[in-house]
Amino acid sequence: MTTLPKQWTSIEELAGDPAFAEKIAAEFPVAASFPPTARRDFLKIMAASFALAGLTGCEKSSFVAGIPYVDQPEAALPGVPRYYATAVTLDGYAQPVLATTYDGRPTKLDGLPGHPATQGRSDVFMQAAVLQLYDPDRAQSPTRTGEPVTWIDVGAMFSEQRREWRTDGGKRLRLLLSQTTSPTLIRQIKEFQSQFPAARLHVHDASGERERTAAAIAAYGQPLDLHYQLDACVVVVSFDDDFLGPGPRQLLNAIKWAQARRRGDVPDIHLHCAESIPAATGAVASHRLRASPSRMPRLMEALAAQLGVTGASATDLPAEERRWLMRAVAAINAAKCRALVTAGLGTGLEAARWAAQINEALGAPGRTLKLSQPIADPGIATASLDELVTDMNAGQVDTLVILNANPVYTAPGSLDFARALSKVKTSIHLGLYRDETGHRCTYQLPLTHDLESWSDARAVDGTATIIQPVMTPFYDVRSRHQLMAMMLGRDEAADLSVKTTWRETFGESFDARWTKALRDGFVAEGIPEIQAKPASGRIAPAASDADGADIVFRLDPTLWDGRYANLGWLQELPKPLSTLTWGNVIAVSPTWARDLDVENGDVLEVDIDGRKLSGPAWIMPGQADNTIGLWLGHGREQAGRVGNGVGYNAYSVRPAATPWLTKGFVRKRDRNDTLAVTQLHHRMEGFDLVREVSATSPTLPAPSPQPSLYPPKPSAKHAWGMVIDIDSCIGCNACVAACTAENNVAVVGKTQVEMGREMHWLRIARYYQGDVENPRSYFQPVPCMQCEDAPCETGCPVHATTHSPEGVNQMVYNRCIGTRTCSSFCPYKVRRFNYLDYRNTPEAPAEPAHNPDVTLRSRGVMEKCTYCTQRIQAAHVAADKDNRDLRDGDVVTACQAACPTHAIVFGDINDPNSEVSKLRRSGRHYALLEELGTRPRTTYLAKWNDGPDSEDHRT
Amino acid sequence: MTASATDILPTDQSIGDVSSQLTGIPLHFPARRQWWIAMAVAIALLALFIVSVVELFTRGVGIWGLNVPVTWAFAIHNYVWWLGIGHAGTLISALLLLTGSEWRNSLNRFAETMTLFAVVCAGIYPVIHLGRPWYLYWMFPYPATMDVWPQFRSPLEWDIWAVLTYLSVSVLFWYTGLIPDLANARDRARRRGWQVFFGILALGWRGSTIHWHRWSRTYRIMAAIAVPLVVSVHSEISLLFAASQLPGWHSTLFPPYFVLGAAFSGFAVVSVIAVALRAMFDLKNLVTRKHLDVLGKVLLATGLMTGYGYVFEVVDALYSGNPHDLQTLLNRTTGAYAWLYWGAVFFNFVPLQLLWWRQVRRTGWALLLISVSVIIGMWLERYMILVTTLYRDFLVSSWSHYTPTFWDWSTYVGTIGLFLVPFLLAIRFIPVISIFETEKTLLDEQETRDG
Repeated sequence: MTTLPKQWTSIEELAGDPAFAEKIAAEFPVAASFPPTARRDFLKIMAASFALAGLTGCEKSSFVAGIPYVDQPEAALPGVPRYYATAVTLDGYAQPVLATTYDGRPTKLDGLPGHPATQGRSDVFMQAAVLQLYDPDRAQSPTRTGEPVTWIDVGAMFSEQRREWRTDGGKRLRLLLSQTTSPTLIRQIKEFQSQFPAARLHVHDASGERERTAAAIAAYGQPLDLHYQLDACVVVVSFDDDFLGPGPRQLLNAIKWAQARRRGDVPDIHLHCAESIPAATGAVASHRLRASPSRMPRLMEALAAQLGVTGASATDLPAEERRWLMRAVAAINAAKCRALVTAGLGTGLEAARWAAQINEALGAPGRTLKLSQPIADPGIATASLDELVTDMNAGQVDTLVILNANPVYTAPGSLDFARALSKVKTSIHLGLYRDETGHRCTYQLPLTHDLESWSDARAVDGTATIIQPVMTPFYDVRSRHQLMAMMLGRDEAADLSVKTTWRETFGESFDARWTKALRDGFVAEGIPEIQAKPASGRIAPAASDADGADIVFRLDPTLWDGRYANLGWLQELPKPLSTLTWGNVIAVSPTWARDLDVENGDVLEVDIDGRKLSGPAWIMPGQADNTIGLWLGHGREQAGRVGNGVGYNAYSVRPAATPWLTKGFVRKRDRNDTLAVTQLHHRMEGFDLVREVSATSPTLPAPSPQPSLYPPKPSAKHAWGMVIDIDSCIGCNACVAACTAENNVAVVGKTQVEMGREMHWLRIARYYQGDVENPRSYFQPVPCMQCEDAPCETGCPVHATTHSPEGVNQMVYNRCIGTRTCSSFCPYKVRRFNYLDYRNTPEAPAEPAHNPDVTLRSRGVMEKCTYCTQRIQAAHVAADKDNRDLRDGDVVTACQAACPTHAIVFGDINDPNSEVSKLRRSGRHYALLEELGTRPRTTYLAKWNDGPDSEDHRT
Repeated sequence: MTASATDILPTDQSIGDVSSQLTGIPLHFPARRQWWIAMAVAIALLALFIVSVVELFTRGVGIWGLNVPVTWAFAIHNYVWWLGIGHAGTLISALLLLTGSEWRNSLNRFAETMTLFAVVCAGIYPVIHLGRPWYLYWMFPYPATMDVWPQFRSPLEWDIWAVLTYLSVSVLFWYTGLIPDLANARDRARRRGWQVFFGILALGWRGSTIHWHRWSRTYRIMAAIAVPLVVSVHSEISLLFAASQLPGWHSTLFPPYFVLGAAFSGFAVVSVIAVALRAMFDLKNLVTRKHLDVLGKVLLATGLMTGYGYVFEVVDALYSGNPHDLQTLLNRTTGAYAWLYWGAVFFNFVPLQLLWWRQVRRTGWALLLISVSVIIGMWLERYMILVTTLYRDFLVSSWSHYTPTFWDWSTYVGTIGLFLVPFLLAIRFIPVISIFETEKTLLDEQETRDG
């Protein structure tokens, strides 16, 4: 039998559970030859696997059945959410969250309100963390060479290991860590080092934190963290530094950027950006220069020379570069000490030194730039991954403990970590997944997810958060602190080590401060600013003897370094600018593509020092010539059923010495791949979809009055409306991710996205204007417009889409018969249709990841943005209970809550004093397709054009 | 004026011969072999249709190539196409009956029969294209417990009523016209089974004067009801599009444009069937070259009127100066689906011009080929109107594409089986040409000749 079975006899079979497969093989020998399930069914599988967690008999599964409380805890009311302040981590940095839990199940993470760094805002990784918690492909119990073992076995193994380590002080023992900011983990590591002083520590992070430190050392002579004070800036000059792009610092930078941008009536901060691969920062820049990354140090030196930095010599620049540079110089001179110059990771050590020296010359430190001791890994002496690999290959490592890292996948391909790993006698992998590294290690010890853990971490500004679990682990897992304790020879309760750490800090008033810290979600202690002078002199330019194109490595904007590859939400989240989902591309410039006759999707082969990879081409408007962009984080082999085999693995060609920028060759191959992009057309075609204003004409023309044959509809007390500030939008997708999480938006998979059936209720439309070589980019979030005279409502023959008294265009799922007339008639095409059954199987206890307040939509039903109607209702109920009126800010939609730049404002337009009403009176206010007379409730604020063409700009 | 110039039927045949010839078709079927071959093909197509619908109901409309923005494509497009075809029968019968155009009498029966099954094919689409077809009944105003009514502002709601009304009136009109012939067939039947079959269907018709008197009044009243319905039903279908605001749809031109297009495609199918039946059953004495000539003229006339619609669609967009309308015009004529637009223009209007020549109109195979071209052209036109508007509407960020899948095609091709199987059964079991009306025409002509 070679075809896929249509019927499945039990949930285990559907999910391909290995234990069950063995049983099948024994009972039905023929059935054992079924091919592995195709990935297009992954959602159902994923759901079925939820159920499996109970079926294979894990130690602590909570997924057995929905049994109500016998003795109900006093404070726990079924169906009433409880909120916990805690944090998830990205690159070791805390992302403080407020977790919404229903009946002990977290369903939604929002940014923690009041946190000094993140101010209640989110990014895509924070939003998706909750899905990772429920990922059925997580490692569920400890294994030894793939066979399940108990934690008692693991304890015995560690005792035996400890005996060995003690004999020589751990000389042949190595620890490989990913970067951490956890005070508890750092304390434990220090204790470990004191127990085994000969053991060496190595830190490996694919996301560039180590190179960041190296750049700081090159610039300042000591490891430092640079904190951009964008809110204090008037001018920012970025050299290939995507500080508004994804990553742990995105939130902080975006918040401050938006604050500065909104200062005054006319934007008071202007961004000059030299950029190789287009990204968020270049997209919002007023003056963008397209420049290959290897040009950056030269540009910076020219800038330094213009600003009178000693040691910088003026060089001759091409006209385009000079024009851009002179504008930047003029702006900096006008801004005086309120300017900041930043250099990206790939620009190298020379650029870092120039940036430091220019900033020093500008007087930036203390004003627009703050320096601090490194927040991550303080006080731990560490060595690099290269040294570890050398030692492993030399047979000097008997035991390797890998904590929360996946070096087999993320180590640069030039190191061949897997080969080195095979020479280690005992390798122990501590991780969330039995990933590429876990599969090759002797032991794989599953970790708790952050949401199940007692731990702690610091945000990028140094503010510490005590991470408290919001649920009991439902797999047989241990926290990293428990495992560290095990290595230290203790068996600890999950919270003990964290408490021990904080007992030192909190001292006498431990109990009160501990409770307060858990309730607040952070410990109010900043990291002190320090003074440092940049190293003098110049770093000689890197010898550029190698020829070929500049190959730039970038972290994936939705999968990051690959750790999120198994999350459907993030795989299907359109990447900013390309709107690509389910895969990565090789980005090339339009000129390059024209010269080589390459179209989107044509397979290219990249060759770096003989290491090759193939992937589909993407012609990126605005990309520098002779520059190729590769994205890390894809092409995984052991990510899980969702993430395996999606895209190419850029780590395989990455050189260890120059991990962000290198030289290589590209050639076209005679194949092409299909790309699942959500927006196929990028030019505005002369329509005024995104409007602009400039300092010289700061208001849009007033709309002409719209006559109507129909009498105005009476409004209820409240009339909901939304205003989206296009000027603030940085296209980060946090709103889309938050909407997906809040509204149970289905993931449909690559094939369906290719067919144009993605289900996101909110899309970030992206437009280019001008020359394809270097266009202006615009982001325009498009949720439902909630038209007052909605064409969709007249189209539906069965009253399935109706108008609420508060002006929300409602979708009645259970009345919908699926004529799709509403979507045909919708001028904005914001409706989404369940062409197939995109839900999880009914057998799956899918509740935990789903918002119980939002209906799941079946096949054949239309859906769309509801303005988070469940949140409006909840606010009404809360106000009614207090016997008061709704106040502005009582209702916050999921997208609004997530937006780091406050670009989305929601509220009552009947209330003249609400924030949304004030924005609707702004001179920049306009409605999309106003001329159709649909009278949208969702409206926009025009983008400020403060670029070089703003003078002759007409609206 | 000589009699032979106006006579459409050769007057040198007897009334009795005509009766025997026409009742003989069901009673002693002359073309069994060809019929079985046609039926085998038709059944195969019907089977494909059934398989497609089972798959559709099992998995959902996602088996088609639809997406957002193209939420309507093959299903609605074929619905409009079939319904357009289903216009000619009633139009020929009823309108020409009322205007006293006797030449219709040789054509009306099979044209009406064709209409019925084309409307059935059309009617099946709005049902199967639903996301949740099992809730179809929500479109009817039944006394629901929650007092939910259909939404009467929706063109889809109007649609349901328009199509159902049209179908029921068409069935009644067809059946009423059939009664005298069913009696004729009953009287000539020799086998008991046939006698009972036709006896029941003839409703006790005895041909008395009072029967004829009542029948004639009823038939004319029904015709008077049917003619405005022909116009209203396709006008209404056009509102499915025109009631939206989308560029390329939102136009007052649409109702007449659709009605004329419908008549055009309908007459093309009538011509195809006329030529085919004429050859298959050797009816050259009843469906004469003069009939073909008239059909050719009608086809040319409706075609030119449809062409007027094309011209004015362009004029409309240019005159309005609306950038979205202009963009859609550009997308239609030069976009990814330009082949649809130019295909429609070519197949609809280029071969059609041959019909200016009398010799072409009177040549069966030429008329057949031109008609087939028109049928293809009108199919492309419906496709073009739907997809070229939807795939690129107002917001550039939602511009997309549409590619029909296997199941799109199989459902469509399947409906041809759904049409052919009952149509073939009808020509097998009932007189394909109205006997009494043809005889009446013949009698009138003979009387005129004899003075």
